Amino acid sequence: MTFRQARWDEPLVWEIRPSPPASPGDGALSELLGGYARRTPWRWPELSELEVARHFTRLSQMNFGIETSFYPLGSCTMKYNPRVGEILARNPKIAHVHPDQPTETVQGILSILYDMERMLARISGLPHVSLQVAAGAHGEFVALLMIRALFQDRGETQRTEVLLPDTAHGTNPASAAMAGFQSREVPSDNGCVSLSALTRMLSDRTAAFMLTNPNTAGLFEERVLEIADRVHEAGGILYYDGANLNAILGRTSPGAMGFDVAHLNLHKTFATPHGGGGPGDGALCVGDLLEPYLPVPRLRRVGRRYTWSYEEPRSIGKVKLAYGNVGLILRAYAYILSHGESGLKRVSRRAVLNSNYLAQRLGRHLPRPFKTLVKHEFVLSGAPLRARGVRTLDLAKRLLDEGVHAPTVYFPQLVEESLMVEPPETESKRDLDLFYEAFVRALNESPEVLRRAPQNLSVRRVDEVQAAREPRLSWRDLEKEKANPVASTPPEG
Amino acid sequence: MGRWIPGDDEEESALLAELGLSSADELFQDIPPRARIPRLGLGRPRTESEIVFHVESRLRKNRTDRDLLCFLGGPLRDRYVPALVDGILQRSEFYTSYTPYQAEASQGLLQALFEFQSLWVELTNMEVANSSLYDGGTAVGEAALMARRLRGGKRFLVPENLWWETRSILENYLRGHPVSVESIPVDPNSGEMDLDTAVRRSRDDCFGLLIEYPDSWGLLQRGLDGLKSRLGDVPLVVSTDPLALTLLEPPGSWGADIVVGEGQGLGMPVSYGGPLLGLIAGRRRDLRALPGRLVGASVDAEGRRAFTLTLQTREQHIRRSRATSNICTNQALMALAFTVYCTLLGPRELADLARQEVREAHRLAERLSSFPQLRAPRFALPYFNRFVLGLEGLTPPDFLGAMARHRILAGSRLEDPRRGDPSSAFPGILVAPPTTGATRAIERYVQATREVLSSGGKSP
Repeated sequence: MTFRQARWDEPLVWEIRPSPPASPGDGALSELLGGYARRTPWRWPELSELEVARHFTRLSQMNFGIETSFYPLGSCTMKYNPRVGEILARNPKIAHVHPDQPTETVQGILSILYDMERMLARISGLPHVSLQVAAGAHGEFVALLMIRALFQDRGETQRTEVLLPDTAHGTNPASAAMAGFQSREVPSDNGCVSLSALTRMLSDRTAAFMLTNPNTAGLFEERVLEIADRVHEAGGILYYDGANLNAILGRTSPGAMGFDVAHLNLHKTFATPHGGGGPGDGALCVGDLLEPYLPVPRLRRVGRRYTWSYEEPRSIGKVKLAYGNVGLILRAYAYILSHGESGLKRVSRRAVLNSNYLAQRLGRHLPRPFKTLVKHEFVLSGAPLRARGVRTLDLAKRLLDEGVHAPTVYFPQLVEESLMVEPPETESKRDLDLFYEAFVRALNESPEVLRRAPQNLSVRRVDEVQAAREPRLSWRDLEKEKANPVASTPPEG
Repeated sequence: MGRWIPGDDEEESALLAELGLSSADELFQDIPPRARIPRLGLGRPRTESEIVFHVESRLRKNRTDRDLLCFLGGPLRDRYVPALVDGILQRSEFYTSYTPYQAEASQGLLQALFEFQSLWVELTNMEVANSSLYDGGTAVGEAALMARRLRGGKRFLVPENLWWETRSILENYLRGHPVSVESIPVDPNSGEMDLDTAVRRSRDDCFGLLIEYPDSWGLLQRGLDGLKSRLGDVPLVVSTDPLALTLLEPPGSWGADIVVGEGQGLGMPVSYGGPLLGLIAGRRRDLRALPGRLVGASVDAEGRRAFTLTLQTREQHIRRSRATSNICTNQALMALAFTVYCTLLGPRELADLARQEVREAHRLAERLSSFPQLRAPRFALPYFNRFVLGLEGLTPPDFLGAMARHRILAGSRLEDPRRGDPSSAFPGILVAPPTTGATRAIERYVQATREVLSSGGKSP
């Protein structure tokens, strides 16, 4: 396929039309400002509306999105984001509702949030839900704070360890550390949790075991019920990282697998846009054990009225301003209602079918570690490329030249030169086949072409090493560099 | 259901044939029978028009801050957002894209985020800014954790009048560590924070002091410009309002070590409280302690300017348990909205907007000060674009309820709703006039107040 990305030499916004520093002095008001009237100048350009529109439109043309390109990014579930969600979230009857309004004036949105909680409870198999969390990692952190509070109440403060598989997402150990736990990695055995290692590591110091199922290698942890039993026998909590829920929608659920708590990523499974890195949205679903610790306020229905309840004596309190990313929740609500029971089952069926289809075809060209039946994503190893002096990264960059996004690379770390491929259910067989062909073409390219990729994008290979060695993170840094070409940075560590 | 899954049964059959399977159920045989679920208990699929009608009919039950006159003064603000801002956000290359880990495929977003970082550096007069956090509340939590990485210690000081949600979020962000959050007293009459006590208590094992600028009551505390020299190497964390910085001397000019804020009011509708935009900036020497994603300028293989995520070794996907934060998904699209909004208005119009809000707040306070039952403003210190309205002889719920019957959202409650009987709590509300149509709104507020007070706070 021939692909050429737009290549505007688009200036930085202040280079479009240099402006004198804004002079903030306003004598008339300085008296009201308690002596703090701004003296330090700040600079930002004064542009016309067309100049602004053209600038950002050109920038947008130098960016991949789902509507331009297939994104087979493992662990990210880059499915199509239905346009109707954009319309719904911009309805003035939600866009202009203030969180401090009395509940009598917001019964409409509260009824939606309430029904959303109920639907997510059914999907997760865990009956109590909070929509306050901002993202998956935030959900992990909040759940761990709740687990901490639970063990404090029980006088089991020696439970200071969080166990996680060596294939876990980086957010898991990072969240554990933020919540004050030591994380310990449980080794994998053929890509799945080693039950014997887990059993050895569980103890009365274990607070929780965090697990993604299917895991980050795309494999279903078939011994999940035994894992749940072992964790519970040791007195620990089993945590479900919902990043990969798309694969099992309507087939099983965190609750049915024995998990006590789960975060769901509405921006993955339920198709809210990723926004170039955010906003996402999380939902935290828990069983009875952890329910009292959920953040306030809790949404309650009394008769036909909905209210926010703050009288939750064991709640950990607030974790974010207001009630959650409501604009995103609304999109996800529409997505779930649209699919209904049968539609969500079709989602998991097709996602897993797409993944196995592509795995089977690509598996003829690069080694696939582990078992062959995968769920929504699969892992390949780019290690054989090394013999030709190229790396997985080069292959990934060449795929960009073909107009498809690269898979996730170098994760999971367990697999050498790994590529993690996730083709969501919204991709057609034709698109999978085109990706396959592009992938094989890239594999057969000469090492020179691969190392020089990409060539069809707005820029050539970006020097990430230089960016980190001399960080230039703002307009001011660029100017300083112009004045004095050697920037200084504190050493690592 | 929309046509979101491509093809028909035949297409699925073709995929299955390649796998040598007769049914897709075989792909799920690795799920143990005991863990399988028969059904979810959800309804039938719906068409797009059914969904739109359903959601619209639910939402019709909401009253908005446009149906009612909005004087809510809490941390979020629903200002008008020019059409172009949303026009840019709706470019699907932006809103459907993923985190720009593949720099070459994402130059547009990376450049916009680089501009965003530059803008926050300009406004704060700090040295480095990241490309967003979840919101202004969690940004305070992240700032406290960062301060602790910088200095170590056991106590973090905050003003007694810190907005209750922010205080609770902060306590949660610190809960995993052997530290405490201590309140610095605020004078109940003047609203002045006791900086002498703050400085005294910042000795020894204190790892930071939070100052709000303006504070949760809308006030501009005295003595901030000399504060850093009194604190020495104790990190000074400042939580501020980006619009206010168009008029106020920026924290970077009076010694702040970390500056955070909430950006929602500039370019995003309030949307019942989310999505929001957390802002953070710091000193270059502390760069490696900063949480979240950073965009840096570099060059491509031909030596042309190019942008990329950088210093990722601070982040969870590389550093795991030793990362500076667990944050992964952030608020990139909201950072774009903030940048487009501020660029479209430009420095002059932004400052005009801020000035207008300051003037209207003062005008409302002045008008209300003639009512003997009200203290407008409740505190003596200078305030910015919102103020605490003191009520005497009637409770906030009574006053707010009576004003609501005049279709006026008269202010935000200050008290922590988790504590006991709210009617006996704090005797004031936080009031901010709307940015659009303030003149008429203020007249109606004053008129309604007159009627409410003359009937003793009961319904008209």
